[in-house]
Amino acid sequence: MPIVNEGLIREFEWVTRPGEQKHIGEALDKADELMQEIAYQLIIGKNLEVDRLTKDCLDNGYTANHILDNGLLNGMAIVGVKFRDNVIFVPEVLVAARAMKAGMAHIEPILSASGIEPIGTVIMGTVKGDLHDIGKNLCIMMLRGAGWTVHDLGVDTSPEEFADAVMEFDAQIVGMSALLTTTMPNMGRTISYFEDIGLRDEVRMMVGGAPVTREFADEMGADGYGENAVECVETASGLLELQKALA
Amino acid sequence: MPNGRTNGRHSDGPPQVDVEAARKSMARMANIFAEIAQHAEVSTLERCPYKDARSRCTAKFACSNQHFTKNPVDPPACTARDGDLNYRSAWQI
Repeated sequence: MPIVNEGLIREFEWVTRPGEQKHIGEALDKADELMQEIAYQLIIGKNLEVDRLTKDCLDNGYTANHILDNGLLNGMAIVGVKFRDNVIFVPEVLVAARAMKAGMAHIEPILSASGIEPIGTVIMGTVKGDLHDIGKNLCIMMLRGAGWTVHDLGVDTSPEEFADAVMEFDAQIVGMSALLTTTMPNMGRTISYFEDIGLRDEVRMMVGGAPVTREFADEMGADGYGENAVECVETASGLLELQKALA
Repeated sequence: MPNGRTNGRHSDGPPQVDVEAARKSMARMANIFAEIAQHAEVSTLERCPYKDARSRCTAKFACSNQHFTKNPVDPPACTARDGDLNYRSAWQI
């Protein structure tokens, strides 16, 4: 059906490249009014609405496939176009990603029951004393988009909080972020804490952040280093393989 | 909710999943986020990543580029010019 949702009509106007108009337009043709509403609410970052609509649609017989493809992903595709074209910026993307997560919270258990399991579980946090979270949030967005389960501990995370989360969620990987040179050493302190409590061999630990280098990561005893969000996913995948090999 | 079944709705019983289609969807999702992350790498070289589309600061920490209005409810405006590459130094206050 044609796009009838007025908000989505306005949002689709940002898609100006002919190839993308065709690709996203054809995908939206498969979306009925409810899927269009999910897509629109995701684009404007209304996580509570996406949560409610996704649940209602599943309760009323829509398949997880249909909602994922025609609601959530159509919305996120337009978010990606708007971001690339500098219509929106990182904060708006992260708000939309939060809305995506709200919808995926209902979809993932259904996929999981069908054998599409998460790749693994990662605990992510910015280290103690550091309140900068945008790099970490981009990494989390990427990891979730790639099929990982991520538990976000937020900012100013103590070594104890990292360790507690690993045990609670049975995570294979810890990801630590720091932006300040003054807080970078807290990554090493967290790794030392894991050694002290006998948890170090149970998880792989990766680090990242603007001032962090591969050399620094090696010096502090991290297992992996990611320079950016894309590398974060590659690093996590490599570490998971290593963890499986060691198990 | 619309009446009647559409091709997006399953019949009776537990939710059905087309596993192959779902894997393709997950790959599509990963691609969308990868493109976003790649663009973020570039855009943050020129624009503070905490600065939203309305030039408001979304950071939860102090920055010398924040300009607070008289209304305490309003988020601070970001006064950094796009293209400035040294915005990180403004965060360390």
